[in-house]
Amino acid sequence: MLRKKWLLLVVTLLFVLSVFLTSCGKTETQTPQQSQEQKTTPTASVKDSDNWTKAKDPSKIPEASKSRTDTLIIGLHEPAGVFNPLFYETAYDAYVLSAIFDGLIEVDLDGTYIPSLAKSWDINKENNTVTFHLRDDVKFSDGTPLTAKDVEFSYYVVADPTYDGPYDISTAGIKGFKEYHDGNADKIEGIKVIDDHTIQIALEKVLGTSLADLRITVIPQHYYGKNFAKGKLEGVKSLEQQPLGSGPYVFEKFVPGQEVRLVANEKYWKGAPKIKNLIFKTTTDATAVQMLQTGETDYETTNIAAKKDNVELLESLGFVDYALLPTNGYGYIAFNFYQPKFQDVRVRKALTYGLNRKAVVDAVYQGLAEVRDVPQSKVSWAYPDEKDIIHYDYNPEKAKQLLDEAGWKLGSDGYRYKDGQKFTIHFLASSPNVVNDALIPVAVENYKQLGIEFIAEPMEFNLILKKIKENKNDWDMYFMAWGLSAEPDPYNIFATNGSQNRTGYSNPKVDELLVKGREELDMNKRKEIYHELYKVLNDDLPYIFMYQRNDLNAKSCRVVGFQISSFRDFTSSLYQAEILQY
Amino acid sequence: MTQFIIRRLLQSIPTLIGASIVIFLIFALAPGDYVTRQLENPKMTEERAAQLRALYGLDKPLPERYVSWATGLLKGDLGDSLMFRKPVVQVINDFIWNSFILGVAIMFFEWLIASIVGIYSAIRQYSVFDTIATLLVFILYSLPSFFLGLVMLKIFAVDHRWFPLGGMITTGSNYTGWAYIVDVAKHMVLPVATLTLISVGGLSRYFRANMLEVIKQDYIRTARAKGLKERTVIFKHALRNALLPLITLFTLELPSLFAGAMITERIYNWPGIGKVVLEAIYVRDYPLFLGYTMLITVLTILANILADVLYGVADPRVRLK
Repeated sequence: MLRKKWLLLVVTLLFVLSVFLTSCGKTETQTPQQSQEQKTTPTASVKDSDNWTKAKDPSKIPEASKSRTDTLIIGLHEPAGVFNPLFYETAYDAYVLSAIFDGLIEVDLDGTYIPSLAKSWDINKENNTVTFHLRDDVKFSDGTPLTAKDVEFSYYVVADPTYDGPYDISTAGIKGFKEYHDGNADKIEGIKVIDDHTIQIALEKVLGTSLADLRITVIPQHYYGKNFAKGKLEGVKSLEQQPLGSGPYVFEKFVPGQEVRLVANEKYWKGAPKIKNLIFKTTTDATAVQMLQTGETDYETTNIAAKKDNVELLESLGFVDYALLPTNGYGYIAFNFYQPKFQDVRVRKALTYGLNRKAVVDAVYQGLAEVRDVPQSKVSWAYPDEKDIIHYDYNPEKAKQLLDEAGWKLGSDGYRYKDGQKFTIHFLASSPNVVNDALIPVAVENYKQLGIEFIAEPMEFNLILKKIKENKNDWDMYFMAWGLSAEPDPYNIFATNGSQNRTGYSNPKVDELLVKGREELDMNKRKEIYHELYKVLNDDLPYIFMYQRNDLNAKSCRVVGFQISSFRDFTSSLYQAEILQY
Repeated sequence: MTQFIIRRLLQSIPTLIGASIVIFLIFALAPGDYVTRQLENPKMTEERAAQLRALYGLDKPLPERYVSWATGLLKGDLGDSLMFRKPVVQVINDFIWNSFILGVAIMFFEWLIASIVGIYSAIRQYSVFDTIATLLVFILYSLPSFFLGLVMLKIFAVDHRWFPLGGMITTGSNYTGWAYIVDVAKHMVLPVATLTLISVGGLSRYFRANMLEVIKQDYIRTARAKGLKERTVIFKHALRNALLPLITLFTLELPSLFAGAMITERIYNWPGIGKVVLEAIYVRDYPLFLGYTMLITVLTILANILADVLYGVADPRVRLK
């Protein structure tokens, strides 16, 4: 009796399952019929940059998106809705803001600075001044002309003692900044408006990095500055939901957690945008590819991880263009230089040669990230010639030899000892973290082969930061990543007194080159200095450099005109992008 | 009765104070704060970090921080969210109602389906229906929501484009009135179905167990012996008594209507409070997280009182004193 029932059950279940499976299978074979009746391909006036891998079959563009003839929908991780370029808290708000506002200067595809609101600038080494000459044809979207007063106002906002946004203008060394920020001065001595379209900034000392430090997004004084006085930013902050700028698009509506709607600024100084409506739609990594597939979005950025699976999936859709851009940043394993064992460069080299970095990186990024041997992006102008640097390819024999030379001798238990001390590595493993998941088993195995005990302690990221800062003795190594920008100066990280030098690294030669690189104004000479610096770092190994990964941008081939690179994201192309009517 | 409610409300005051201290401490003592996160930026300096901490009030000693937060709480001021840069009340208001409508729909279908399945399984115990229902319900019950959510999306939003892929409204739409309701309803189908399927399992077991227990009682046998119709026996005599313990269960589920579903909201891109709070925990936006947790605490205490009151109303054997 009972057995009969079970049989029935199993049969029913199988039936249900088979219905499921066949219905899934059917749908995947439905697509290819439509592609025959191709008409002439529409063409665009501005082409995409060459780093896009182009779609093979535009006929597969989903109908849902074709009907959207004057609206571009960009999928983005959720914007928080702080729409003020001097106060935003998340990178996603920053994307939205770069469509509404303009900066004083822009970064070009190759990472160099090019004019934007400032049509040119003079850097005077004798007087230590930077003078910006503004364009005279720029208007905010309400019709008011943009002048040097607006630039001055923007600097005053970020220099305010109560300012708590993302800018840190203190690093620029503007004359009179300290007196204003920490003292009683009611003006910043170094900021001078010469005329409507010229502003001069006097610095304590002009540096090669000054231009990067003085970069700012300009907000209109007549709109934000109504009740502004030193220490009173409430007026500026109160307008976070109604941004007004000079950028290609004008803010229209924000639906929290769902979308931000913008319309074209017909008076934009680079020319009116070709696409009338722009919507930033909240998407998540779980469904970003499907959003493109069904035509609910036209462009996806930040939400699709650069993995082989995702790239293959995008290619299979046929109508999707994608670009893999080297990420501005690198992963590294830090050494604790307060521990005597890491003071010996032979030990650091042994630990680098002795770790199969490629195996780790390939496991995580499926071949879409490259092992690096210097702390700089491959596409930066500061990146040294590959021939000049040491490539620490996996070589356990060399590692063992280096450890022997350094005096770490194998004991009878298979581990290395020096002065009676066993070679043990306490690794702070931030968790959850995909790289650590792959790194730890490989490191345990590789280092055991060298005679080193590798002990990983998983903990939360915030706890690691706290531990590194407060206790210099009970850890040896940790894995983290640094972000990079167009300005390559790594002073904060590698200088002996650098503000983000958390590991106690100190090298007089590095310090000297860092100062030289900062103080040099000539781009070609800076290039030489940084090539030299990275050669030294490559040989001295303040970290085990791990990898540089990629960022994936993907779009429907019906939108074109995106000139992007690692340094210049899609927002810079919005004004020239257009929708091809298939 | 009124006296009972007033007494219970007064008794909940120390509970609330205790809860607020515990919640505050758990969050304040967790390593890292809102500024720690920004140390990931290589350009950050110690001085700037200290300035920011001072501006956010994170540099003050814990008791002082608690007192200023708690006094704000008494005045109904939950402070400003650091991530959203606006009052916590406003942030919660922006998102919580989206979670609420999702929660109400799920609760409705969950109780409807669970009661039908549970009752029918009970009166036909060990029948084919009972066995299959039990099995199915357990399979669904054991599925993780992200898995079922993604499968549903694949089938109903990607392969067959019957339902939208996520979100709450059609992108760029300006619907009002009835059209708006229809649009939102369309977007609700998949998340509601996912969460209902998953949660129906547990509840239908409650219904089944309660019914089975009641059906075995003497008064049911008496009712049958009197020659009453089976329908009357089941729905009038058995069901009413079986529902009693479920009143408590139902009332205690009410606060969860406002709590949001973190994982499901993320998968379906639903602009609910659960997703926002999860983000707040990651970036250590403590005013937002504390405000939300306190709200849920208050609702839970209220629901407890309500459960006791309702039980007293429904069951004359229970006297509230």
